[in-house]
Amino acid sequence: MTLIPPQAPLRRSRLQRLTLSRRQQTLWVIGLCSLFLLGIILSTWIIGDTGLNPILAQRNQSPSLDHPFGTDWLGRDMLSRSLHGMSLSLRVGLLAATISAFIGSSLGLAAGTLGGWVDAVITWIVDVFFSLPHLVLLILIAFAVGGGTTGVVVAVALTHWTSLARVIRAEVLQVNSSDYVQLSHRLGRSPLWIARHHMIPHIIPQLLVGLILLFPHAILHEAALSFIGIGLSPHIPAIGIILAESMRHLSTGYWWLGVMPGVLLLLAVKAFDWLGENLRDLLDPKTSQG
Amino acid sequence: MKRTLNRLICSASILLASYVLGSCTPSPSTSSSDTTDATSPPAASGSSEQIVLAVGGESDEGYDPTLGWGRYGSPLFQSTLLRRDEDLNIVNDLATGYTVSEDGLTWTVTIREDVLFSDGEPLTAEDVAYTFEQAAQSGGLNDLTMLEEAIATDTYTVEFRLTEPQSTFVNRLITLGIVPEHAYGEDYGRNPIGSGPYQLVQWDEGQQLIVEVNPNYYNEPPSIERLVFLFLEEDAAFAAAQAEQVQVVSVPQALAVQNVEGMTLYDVTSVDNRGLMFPYVPTSAGKTTPDGDPIGNDVTADLAIRQAINYAVDRQALVDGVLEGYGSPAYGPVSGLAWEEESAKIEDAQVGQAQAILAEGGWVDSNNDGLLEKEGMEATFTLLYPASDSTRQALALSVAEMLKPIGIQANVEGRSWDEIEPAMHSNVVLFGWGSHDQTEMYNLYHSQSAQGDFYNTGYYANQAIDDVLDLAMGAPSEAEAIAFWKASQWDGQKGFTAQGDAAWAWLVNLDHTYFVSDCLDIGQPQVEPHGHGWPITANIAQWTWTCD
Repeated sequence: MTLIPPQAPLRRSRLQRLTLSRRQQTLWVIGLCSLFLLGIILSTWIIGDTGLNPILAQRNQSPSLDHPFGTDWLGRDMLSRSLHGMSLSLRVGLLAATISAFIGSSLGLAAGTLGGWVDAVITWIVDVFFSLPHLVLLILIAFAVGGGTTGVVVAVALTHWTSLARVIRAEVLQVNSSDYVQLSHRLGRSPLWIARHHMIPHIIPQLLVGLILLFPHAILHEAALSFIGIGLSPHIPAIGIILAESMRHLSTGYWWLGVMPGVLLLLAVKAFDWLGENLRDLLDPKTSQG
Repeated sequence: MKRTLNRLICSASILLASYVLGSCTPSPSTSSSDTTDATSPPAASGSSEQIVLAVGGESDEGYDPTLGWGRYGSPLFQSTLLRRDEDLNIVNDLATGYTVSEDGLTWTVTIREDVLFSDGEPLTAEDVAYTFEQAAQSGGLNDLTMLEEAIATDTYTVEFRLTEPQSTFVNRLITLGIVPEHAYGEDYGRNPIGSGPYQLVQWDEGQQLIVEVNPNYYNEPPSIERLVFLFLEEDAAFAAAQAEQVQVVSVPQALAVQNVEGMTLYDVTSVDNRGLMFPYVPTSAGKTTPDGDPIGNDVTADLAIRQAINYAVDRQALVDGVLEGYGSPAYGPVSGLAWEEESAKIEDAQVGQAQAILAEGGWVDSNNDGLLEKEGMEATFTLLYPASDSTRQALALSVAEMLKPIGIQANVEGRSWDEIEPAMHSNVVLFGWGSHDQTEMYNLYHSQSAQGDFYNTGYYANQAIDDVLDLAMGAPSEAEAIAFWKASQWDGQKGFTAQGDAAWAWLVNLDHTYFVSDCLDIGQPQVEPHGHGWPITANIAQWTWTCD
């Protein structure tokens, strides 16, 4: 009996500390995820080209301290190859997300504020994009612009804005029907003025979260495109190429060629997911005080 | 948003899975389980009735010899006038003998009188003449430019009249399968009728080819009744071998180090070679091919660069590292054949010597960036390889690494053949050749064969070498031509190999590696040519099944 009372407040305080630090926890997750992803992007500058060149004497080595991800059939270090591949993917993702955010928000804003035939045309374009299988569209665009790294970048960049545009259009329509916007209209404010002063502050959080959640899409699509090849040299360290190459060695038991880069891809995608979710918790008024 | 993400991961993994499955599905057991068609094979496991082979891809253009099927020998459905035995000696097949006239212009061949095509019609000199005329007209891959006419002088004698003497013409008699005049038409390539050991039963494009013994075959009938050729990717073929689904499987050298239970590794030497082709002329000449593609490269037009690369490359390391030891160093295009010049071989992996050659050629590293320069030009070039070929990728990357210590930078790029073609006259390309026919060597180095296609892509031109090659070509017989073929490679003063003009840097000869079921006796395979077609089947009529 005497032992329990002192413990109860302790437990509560621990619990309290946990609940109190929800915001801190969120910030920690955001910080760690950003650091992890930033680390991958910057890693190529730090490690440089070492490990990408074939050293025939050390081929097909399983993971060890020298080569945490093992080496491939040409003696190239799989850790540096995977990091280079992931870094390329992330940079493609960054570019694609930025372009998508730009296209998506401007089209969404235009559709929402201007309405009428502009809205109809933009909705129609979004519907056309949605009606095509995404991967097929990617392949078509990548081939049309001549393949290679450019092809992958352009294809991924041009096809990911649609869902964002849709979300923003809906948001804008909602804000548009609110009283103060109606009042602004009556007061003779131009649609541009209304967009800048009433809409943008509302859609910024949506945009930010949407942007971050676009990343995993873009990365996976970059991996899928490079997996098929699309004019990339097969020795370029892109994550899809690495995974495609590892399939040739499935039957020979060199598991680390596929598993290690695969895990890295999974972690990177998941990190963006966590980042997006936690950022939403932080920005959304419903959860930000929780 | 999250749901779409999950869906995406799902679809990506399905995509991945379908790739794995897709590469394994075209196995004979699946096709037999859902059809009761008499022509589909029973579940695979070898017997003297049937064996399954996965020894490379199919011939996309079909099985018409006049268009190039079997141009590296052993056309399977058709038979040839002559053939090469396992020691590459020329022996009679359809022919009973041949003579060449004094001036070397008329070749007279007498043929066997007991030969029937698989449809029961007799094979006569008319068919032989027709085949050669047809092949000359079709402009396929057979080189018959010297053939003026082919005439059947009687039922079993055929005469070939040449415009110029050609010592390599005997190779046409060895490689060109005879087609029946009465059954030849547009779709012959899909329905090949011939006098070879096997006849076509079924061809499912991209999947499998089924052949059965030709009952009318004139020699000892093959002991294996039915062959099924599967067209599988390398890794799928290997997996099929491990599952005992195939009895003969060709594997890349990297997989040859593995063990497959119940199968023996056959390591067959070949003249299937790989080398770096150098553009020979400088760009300042401003020449273009008939198609308008640029010719020449200023860096590789420099003899010092070409020779230094030849000396710097460690060929044995390539053989050990890339080919897992299943290969041999190559110093010329015809390694291991009777017309190879032994003195053309060099001591390689000589970084010091390569540096000396470069220094003498005026190449210095004036700005200490590890890269040589000469007259403001950096020692760097693009090295192209076909993206689909993993062995060439490995060779290209390894060679580029070996050139760094001597201050030459090779920027490696993998491309499709369609993209390589317009660039192959102005960039270094990792090509592969290798034939039992000296015509190939002639075409690789003679200035007249540089016409903007795959022969002499570098526009190599040396009048002295042209003369020697012409002498070899004009010699009355293969035996007499050999001295000239050797001299063209290196005669102590000149030659196209490393010590002379170093028009190429030959790297390695691949061994062809096969896993063959322990129950199958495939005899003694010959030195195999370049990998088009199925060279392992050259002596297929002698294969026997030893378990039962």
